[in-house]
Amino acid sequence: MTVSPLGRDIDRVDGRAKATGTARYSADYPAANLAHAYLVTSTIARGTISAMDTTAAQNAPGVIRVYSPFNKLGLRPVPGAGENYAPLEDTQIRFRGQIIAMVVAERLEQARDAARLVHTTYDEQTPRLSLADEPRVPATGPPGVPAPSATVLAPGVPSIEAALAASDVVVEASFHQPMQHPAAMELHSVLAEWNSDQTQLILYSGAQLPHTSAMVAAGRLGVAPTAVRLIAPYVGGGFGSRVFPWYDAALAAAAARQLNRPVKLVLSREQVFTVVGHRSAVNQTIKLGASRDGVLNAVSHVSDAAVPFVGYRWMQPAVDVSAVLYKTPNVAFDQRHVMLDVPPACAMRAPNEAPGAFALETAMDELAVATGLDPVELRLRNYATTVPGTDRRWSSKHLDDCYRIGAQRFGWSARRARPGSRVDGQWLVGMGMASAIYPGGRRPEPIQARVQLRDDGTALVSSATADTGTGATTLLAITGAHGLGIPLRRVRSEAGDTALPQGAPSVGSTAAASTVPAVEAAVEGAVAALIQEAVSNPLSPWHGANSEELTYEKGQLRGRGQSMPFGRLLTTIDRRNVEATATAQPGPEAGEYKFHSFGAHFCEVRVNRYTGEPRITRFTTVVDAGRIVNAQAARSQLVGGVIFGIGHALLEDDPLELDTGRVAAGNMADYMVPVNADIPAIDVHFLDRPDPVINSLGARGLGELGTVGSAAAVGNAIFNATGKRIRSLPITLDKLL
Amino acid sequence: MRAYTFTQPRGVREALADAGTDTAFLAGGTTLVDLMKLDVVTPARVVDINRLPLRGITLDRDGLHIGALERMSDVAADRNVRRDYPMIAQALELSASAQLRNMASIGGNLLQRTRCGYFRDVTTPCNKREPGSGCSALTGINRTHAILGTSDACVATHPSDLAVALVALGTDVHLVSGQGTRTVPLDTFYTLPGSTPHLENVLRPGELIAGITVPRSMWAANSVYLKIRDRQSYEFALTSAAVAVEWRGRTIRQARIAAGGVGTKPWRLPAVESALAGQPATADVFEAAVSAAADGARPLSHNGFKPALLRRTLVRALTVLAESR
Repeated sequence: MTVSPLGRDIDRVDGRAKATGTARYSADYPAANLAHAYLVTSTIARGTISAMDTTAAQNAPGVIRVYSPFNKLGLRPVPGAGENYAPLEDTQIRFRGQIIAMVVAERLEQARDAARLVHTTYDEQTPRLSLADEPRVPATGPPGVPAPSATVLAPGVPSIEAALAASDVVVEASFHQPMQHPAAMELHSVLAEWNSDQTQLILYSGAQLPHTSAMVAAGRLGVAPTAVRLIAPYVGGGFGSRVFPWYDAALAAAAARQLNRPVKLVLSREQVFTVVGHRSAVNQTIKLGASRDGVLNAVSHVSDAAVPFVGYRWMQPAVDVSAVLYKTPNVAFDQRHVMLDVPPACAMRAPNEAPGAFALETAMDELAVATGLDPVELRLRNYATTVPGTDRRWSSKHLDDCYRIGAQRFGWSARRARPGSRVDGQWLVGMGMASAIYPGGRRPEPIQARVQLRDDGTALVSSATADTGTGATTLLAITGAHGLGIPLRRVRSEAGDTALPQGAPSVGSTAAASTVPAVEAAVEGAVAALIQEAVSNPLSPWHGANSEELTYEKGQLRGRGQSMPFGRLLTTIDRRNVEATATAQPGPEAGEYKFHSFGAHFCEVRVNRYTGEPRITRFTTVVDAGRIVNAQAARSQLVGGVIFGIGHALLEDDPLELDTGRVAAGNMADYMVPVNADIPAIDVHFLDRPDPVINSLGARGLGELGTVGSAAAVGNAIFNATGKRIRSLPITLDKLL
Repeated sequence: MRAYTFTQPRGVREALADAGTDTAFLAGGTTLVDLMKLDVVTPARVVDINRLPLRGITLDRDGLHIGALERMSDVAADRNVRRDYPMIAQALELSASAQLRNMASIGGNLLQRTRCGYFRDVTTPCNKREPGSGCSALTGINRTHAILGTSDACVATHPSDLAVALVALGTDVHLVSGQGTRTVPLDTFYTLPGSTPHLENVLRPGELIAGITVPRSMWAANSVYLKIRDRQSYEFALTSAAVAVEWRGRTIRQARIAAGGVGTKPWRLPAVESALAGQPATADVFEAAVSAAADGARPLSHNGFKPALLRRTLVRALTVLAESR
C-alpha cells in the first residue's frame, strides 16, 4: 500500500547532496580555459569619472583585459527589469559601490590584485541621500502599471481626516525602518560559457525566475532570448535578491564573448551589499480612529520610502497590508517616494508587507492600550470577512482561528496587560502578538510542468521553477508521487534549468500553489499518453482495446481483467518512456476571490533591567495557508520567516552615511543578522485546512508569511515588558536603557 | 592580497632573524588573513610562527603561565583556568565563534586590530591604517566606537575581551626579540592613540609576544566577565566588565575591575576599585562606586548611550558576582 507523501514531513530530495557538498552552486561549475573576473566599484556616490588609469592593472601578472567606461562591453538596460542603466557604458556615478570596471585574469587572485591597481578620479557632485529632507513624489508602480489606490470612504464622509476627527479614540504613530539586506548565503555568482560559434550562451547563475533571468540577460547582451540557457538547480537563498539578474551575469557573458573563453565572476561579500539590491529605508505614519470599544472607524497609512535613482524597486508598504487586514469603513493611503543616490533596491522578502505590518500591527497594539482591550480581542472585533470597502470574499480565511489557537498554544492568558509587571530576576518579561497576511495565490501566467513515466518504474517530474532553498524540487516530487500514486522514492524531480518547461517563478509566495496544478495536469497527460501507447502498440497486451477500457491507479494500468505496472508495460512494448508537458493557469476564480494566507504570531521577550538587551524566549506562529504539501519544508519556511522578522526587529540596520553615501555596515561582520543563540525554539502550527478554490489540493503560498508581522510581535512584547514603545527599527538595547 | 614571502621557522631565533617593519607573524591567522584579504595589511613577509615552542598552560606559585601560541579554546577549557581564573575562561568563551577560538592564539588575541569599519575599509580615510589621512569615524557611523582614551585622531575601540580580563588581573606580558627578552605589564603594553593611532602597543618591530603570566591573587577565583552586545553571540562588546572581588564575609575587601567596548585600550577602573574597597556588597554601594566610571568620557554622535551602559554593566556584573557568593 502506497502512502501519499502529501502533507507529511518529507526530507528534501536534494538534502543529502547539499549536506555532503556534492550539490553544485553557480560558482562550483568547472569550465575548460576558464578566466576569472573581479569588479571595481565606485568610491563616491554621485558625479562622473574624469579619468581612469588602468595601465598598472592591465600590466599586472595574468591580466587578460580590463573593461571600463573607456573600454566598454556594449551592454544595454532592459526597461522594467532591474536597474535603469548599464554599467561601464558611461562615466556617470549613480551611487557609491557602483560597478566602474571589471578585470579579467587567468586566476581569481590575479584579477583581484589587479582590480586594486585601477586608479579612478572623479568630478564629484553632492549626493542626494536624506530620506527626511529630499523631495517626496507620489508613489508609482512598475512602468505602465498605475499606482494602486485603495482609499475608501463611507458615504457622506468627506475625508479621512474627518473620519479620524469623528472617532472616539485616535492613535497616531510614526515608524522608521532602515535599509535592510537580503544577505543570501550564496554570493551572487555567474559562470558564462558560449558555444564555439557564439550563438548559444549558458549562464550558471542562481535565479528566482530562471526564464526571466535568461531573457533579461539576453536583452542586456543584445541576443535573442532563445540564445541563453540558464542553469541553477541549487540556489543559496533568494529573498528577492535574485528576482532579476544583476549586471554580473551580463558583464561576465559579454567578456566571455569578447575573449572567446568562459568567464566566472563571483562578487565579494562587500560588493553584494551595493551591487545587489536591498530593501529601502522607509518612514511610515499610521492613524487609527476607533470607537471606545475598539471598533475601527478610520485607518490612515502614509509612507515615505527611499527609491534609488537607478531603480528598480518601488515600495508600497501601506496598500498591501492596511487595505486588506481589518474591517473599516474609512481607509486612506498616501504612499510617497523619495529619490536617492543609493544602491539599487529589490523586492526583499515580503517587500511591502513586512514594513507595512510592522507599522500597522504596532499601531494596533497602541490602540489596544488606548482602549484597554486585549490585543487579540481587538483584532477579532475588527475582523474582515470581505476585502474592506468591497464585497469580495477570500477563497478561504481562518485567521480568527489562528488568533484563538495561537493564544491557547502560547499561553496568552497568562499575559499581564500592565507593562513592566512581570519580573524574573534581572529580566523584565513581556508578551506581544501580531497578525500576518500575505498574498497566497497563483501566478496569473501559464505555468508548465512535464511528467515522464519510465520503463524502470520511476517517474521524472520537471519544471523550471527555482529552488532557492524553499524545497521546490521536493514539492515537484511530492506532487508527482501523490498524483501518480507511487512511492516518493520512485520519483525524481528537476528544476532550475531553462531547458525544462517554464515553471513557476520563486517570487511572491506563488511557486507552490502555481506548480501543483501544472504537475497534476502533467500527471494526467502522462497517464493518457501511457494508455494511448497501451492500446496502440502492437506489443502491448491491451493492443486494440479502447482507451476507455483502461484505468490507471497507483502505478498500475488495469483493464480487461489484467493489470500491469507502467514500468513493465513500457518494457514490454520496448519504450523507454512516455511523457506529457502540461500547462496550468488560474481560471475565472482568480477574479472572483481574494487569495491570502494568514497567520498569528505570539512572542515572549525578556529585557534586562540593567543593560536593556532584549532576548526572545518563546515564539508561536499559527498559520492558515490552506493544505500543507510538505510539513517539514513549510515549517522551515515559517521558522525562517520568523527569524527574518526577529532580525528586522532587533538587529538589522545598514546606516547610510549622509555625506558620502557609503553603507556603513556593508559586510557580514557589521550587518547583524540573528545567530542561533538569538533564536528560541519556534513553535509553528498549521491549521492545514484545504482552500476550496485555489487548486485541487487546496494549497496556498506561505514563503513570505512568517516575515510579515513578526517584527511587530517582538516590538509589542518589548512594550509589554518595559512600557517603552520603540517605533524605530531595530530595537536595540540603547533604546531601552 | 598581494604577493609575499612565506616561511615556517622552527626556532624563535630563526623567526626573528630578518623580521622588520614589513614582517607579519602568522599564528591563528584569524585577524591577519582577514586584513590581508581586505588590503588593510600588506606585509612583504609572513612568518608562520606556529612551529615555535611558545606553548603551555601551567599554574605555579607565581600564577598562571600561558604560551602565546596556545589556542583560545584550549585555554578556556583548561581546568586550572576555569577554577582559579573563571573570568578568563568566560571572556574567551564569549569571544568570536567556536571555529575561530579553535584557531586563534592568545598572543594574536592580544594583538588583534580594531573592528572599526573605517579601519577595515581601504576606501575611507583612517589615521590608524594610513597616518595623516583623517578619522572617518569622528563624523561617521560610530555607535560601536570608544568613549575613553580617544583622541581627535582616533576613536577606535580595542576589540579583545581577553585583554580586559587580563588587565583587570594585573597580567604581565613577556616579549622576545633578537635583543633578548623583557616583561611589561599588559596595561602599559597598550598605548593610547594620541596623535599616533597606528602605534597600538610598545612592541618593537621584530619583537614577539612569547607568553603571559597572570599573578596569583585572592580575587581571581571570584571573578566574572560580563559582555553586553546586541547579538547574543558572535559579536564584539558594546560594553563589557571584568570584575574580581576578594570577599571578607559580605564585604568587599578589594576589587579589580576593567571595562571593554568603551576604551581605545582595555580600560582599568581604579577609582571604582577604591570606591568598593571595604564596602558591603549592596546595590547602593555599587551604584555609588560606578558613578564615576565614565568620567572623562567623550561620547560621539551615535554612542551617547555608552557611559550609562558602562555604569549599568558594572553594576550588573557586581550584582551577579555578589549573588553567586
